[in-house]
Amino acid sequence: MQEYVTLTIDGAKVRAPHETSVLDAALNYNICIPHLCHLQGITPLGACRLCIVEVVKDGKSKVTASCTLEVEEGMVIRAHTEKIIRARKNIAEMLVAEAPNSRAMQDIAVRCGVKKVRYPFRNENCVLCGRCVRVCSEIWQSKSLGFVGRGNHRHVALPFDKRPESCKRCNYCIDICPMTITPCPGPIKKGNEALCALCESQLSMAHNIVDSCVDCRLGEGFNCARKVSVNTI
Amino acid sequence: MLKLNALLRDREGKSCELIEVLQDVQSAYNYLPEQVLRAVSAKLEVPLIEVFRVANFYKAFTLKPRGKHLLTVCMGTACHVRGAPKFLDEVLSQLNVSPGETTGDGEFTVETVNCLGACALGPIVVLDGKYYDHMTTGKLRNLIQAARKKSPKKRKKIKSNAQTTIC
Amino acid sequence: MLKLQSVREFKAFQVKRAEKEERLTTVILSSGTCGQAGGSLNIAEAFKKELKNRRLAKKIRLRITGCHGFCEQEPLLVIEPENIFYCRIKPKDVPEIVSGTLKQNKIIDRLLYSDPASKKKVAYERDIPFYKAQDRAVLGQNKLVDPCDINDYIAIGGYSALIKALTSMQPEEVIEEIKKSGLRGRGGGGFPTGMKWEFCRRAEGRPKYVVCNADEGDPGAYMDRSVLEGNPHAIIEGMLIGAYAIGAEHGYIYVRNEYPLAVEHSKIAIQQAEELGLIGENILGTDFSFDIKIARGGGAFICGESSALMASLAGLVGEPRPKDIHTTERGFMDLPTNLNNVETWANVPAIINNGASWFASKGTAASKGTKIFALTGKIRNTGLVEVPMGITLREIIYNIGGGGSNGKKIKAVQTGGPSGGCLPERLFHLPVDFEALTEAGSMVGSGGMVVMDEATCMVDVAKYFLKFLIDESCGKCVPCRIGLSRMLEIINDITEGKGTEEKLALLEDTAQTVALASLCALGKTAPNPVLSTIKYFRPEYEAHIEKKKCPAGVCRQLIHYSIDKTKCKSCGACFRACPHNAILVKAKIYNIIDENCQKCGICKEACKFQAVAVS
Repeated sequence: MQEYVTLTIDGAKVRAPHETSVLDAALNYNICIPHLCHLQGITPLGACRLCIVEVVKDGKSKVTASCTLEVEEGMVIRAHTEKIIRARKNIAEMLVAEAPNSRAMQDIAVRCGVKKVRYPFRNENCVLCGRCVRVCSEIWQSKSLGFVGRGNHRHVALPFDKRPESCKRCNYCIDICPMTITPCPGPIKKGNEALCALCESQLSMAHNIVDSCVDCRLGEGFNCARKVSVNTI
Repeated sequence: MLKLNALLRDREGKSCELIEVLQDVQSAYNYLPEQVLRAVSAKLEVPLIEVFRVANFYKAFTLKPRGKHLLTVCMGTACHVRGAPKFLDEVLSQLNVSPGETTGDGEFTVETVNCLGACALGPIVVLDGKYYDHMTTGKLRNLIQAARKKSPKKRKKIKSNAQTTIC
Repeated sequence: MLKLQSVREFKAFQVKRAEKEERLTTVILSSGTCGQAGGSLNIAEAFKKELKNRRLAKKIRLRITGCHGFCEQEPLLVIEPENIFYCRIKPKDVPEIVSGTLKQNKIIDRLLYSDPASKKKVAYERDIPFYKAQDRAVLGQNKLVDPCDINDYIAIGGYSALIKALTSMQPEEVIEEIKKSGLRGRGGGGFPTGMKWEFCRRAEGRPKYVVCNADEGDPGAYMDRSVLEGNPHAIIEGMLIGAYAIGAEHGYIYVRNEYPLAVEHSKIAIQQAEELGLIGENILGTDFSFDIKIARGGGAFICGESSALMASLAGLVGEPRPKDIHTTERGFMDLPTNLNNVETWANVPAIINNGASWFASKGTAASKGTKIFALTGKIRNTGLVEVPMGITLREIIYNIGGGGSNGKKIKAVQTGGPSGGCLPERLFHLPVDFEALTEAGSMVGSGGMVVMDEATCMVDVAKYFLKFLIDESCGKCVPCRIGLSRMLEIINDITEGKGTEEKLALLEDTAQTVALASLCALGKTAPNPVLSTIKYFRPEYEAHIEKKKCPAGVCRQLIHYSIDKTKCKSCGACFRACPHNAILVKAKIYNIIDENCQKCGICKEACKFQAVAVS
């Protein structure tokens, strides 16, 4: 018999089985908290920090990632305070500045309200979300990939850059990678660095349609919520 | 293989001891050879990627052979404030390498450390395990030259003839 | 050494050891890492030889100890019971010390400490101003023991606190005592120690662990090294008491890789304690069993963070995990683990022996007891100082530290390492305690205090700390990995004359996000050096941005090196010293070639006539 707990997320009373994460509980109730490294059924990493929320207890609030936070009876969660929205927007801004040619990063940026990118663009192929690593380790029990190196040298690699025997050649790591989702139709050209706003035009359409969300393609494979509150953007 | 067997004795399945084992390997071979790491992975029953991760994460480990002499420049706050950055200029001039690199002739490896905890003696440089305190660029120049026993300001890069042998 | 089987045997053993401490004249030689780097081992050998030759080896005892804390004067020694203090000694001074002082009670003037304030020589350690203002409750013990001989520690009452706890206190009573004392974590977190022990005691899961965090990675901090090298038994005793109180069976001392002497001394200490029966199964015939192992770090600052440390103990990479569930509940191997800093553990035996109120009588309302600080940088008396909490920065820096070195005016003090901030001179009236420094935008941290003067550029200091943190970041989370590198981009621009007000605003904005959203304390506190320097030294930032100038003359792209012809003696020293081929000599006239000049400052150092000008 599964035990359930009741908690409050953005004012809404949510029931979730214990040992669920706050993020999963929210998504199940269609409360959309932006996320990137989260993947259903996989151990959460808490690396992208997009899903941060405020946990309020005894009048004090603490900021933590909702994907790694386990639900508790009576917990009070605020996912869309001004502080959180500002931080989330900045994180999304950092991500899109790292990989501006990635459709997924552009979608996240728009979803989080980024209008202008103030950092000089870089052009990374990987945002270190860790989905490939965790999927290889947990779903396929293969443990052939891993995060190698510290800090800015951190990258996903095979041991000694050689495919180990444990690799099952399932290609799941490629399938699950957010950077390989349909490339953006309008890649950013040097000298013309600005978000193309194609996603944003879709955003304005969503405002007018009740119960719908920006079709940010993030939903495919990301198990995104399907309702977004207009006031939170 | 004798060296390796001695290091790995009684370590079967002891995944917790990975870092200790790698420290022993680093001491014994002066770096972490790929073949040895594969053997460690098998003996300790740790996935190869995990061994590789640990080898790349900690500064104490190098995957390339170190030179004969290890020169470490302390870049801690106290040493920094006392002028440590210019020692890297001096090192570049004397040895033509940057931190993390080894000279072409395999003589010197230069590294920086973020604090040795001997701040009263700063700026400090460690050469082959010995601490040299209150360094100046002049003293550093002499130190390198003495270790090298060559004429001053030689900047030619000598062809590499470094070999890697295991056991 | 015979293993002691009972508390009674131990007490008898202790009495015997204390008796052995007859009124022998003792030469106490400071020989920690710093002392050894200064040649203390050679001095020790010289003493052994000289005492043997003079047949004094039986009358005069030589005790080789760890750090005494007055690092600027190393190598140093104290002769007891006279309390004579000799500093900056060399092996060649030894014969004179033996024949003069030891045999004839003659004081050798040239080896005495010279007090710059009074301009007089000071003969006795107790009169030295550096020591006078301190309360060396923990560090003072270093003088009394040879860390490689457990007998010394026992002779001064070592392990009595353990006996007291084991025989007359329940585990909960021990925890109560530590709670009442007000001891707070000395590693930087400042978390109430007694409360932590209580959480760990209450947690479910077996076996439980106690860990000593000796990964002291803050650059400029070396208090833990000194205590662990000089008095490892204090930590071992503290851990034994903690383990008893919490119900833990195993312990680890995690020592950073860069402290080989601390590792060696801890290993010897554990071995000797085991041989004596103070560590192991059924200690001194009681139900209490406990073992300790040493683990060495691999060279990663992040492993000073508790969850990263515990990952490292398990043979994994040192990546922190979110602390929504504390390590006291799920720590090492997901079991209840109590981690404390070296200095925290070292304070425990005295609290048990002297009582909580003794400890609580020192310090301020919320910050009790004494704290060891590492005073370094542009200060005259570099060293380790132990003072009661609540003493002001001014007292530490001027009364104990002796003011600025090189006669320059002190501008700021950086406290708390890379998690802390820079406080300007006008705030030196602030008391040093957990709350006051945090409120001002810095923190007590592990105890590092780096003093900076007018020749230090505060923007460069912010840059230094950012680079350090970027180097040490594990790289897992976006705000720390990407945010810090973006902050460094902006600071680099500022120090290279490409700064703008907009970029400064972006720097502050990014800093807020990093502080709010990072996964672990490294990221969360990383912006502190930047934010505190902007807060207190904004004019320096503005000079870099608006005037493209570096007032302190440090930032390479904003300064210009030239040779002052009026002072130049054409000696050629600069030419020979320059590593970048930037000095041209034509008809004995020396000039600096701007294109090649890297502003490294080596020529300035080489010139004996101050002919190199920096503008």
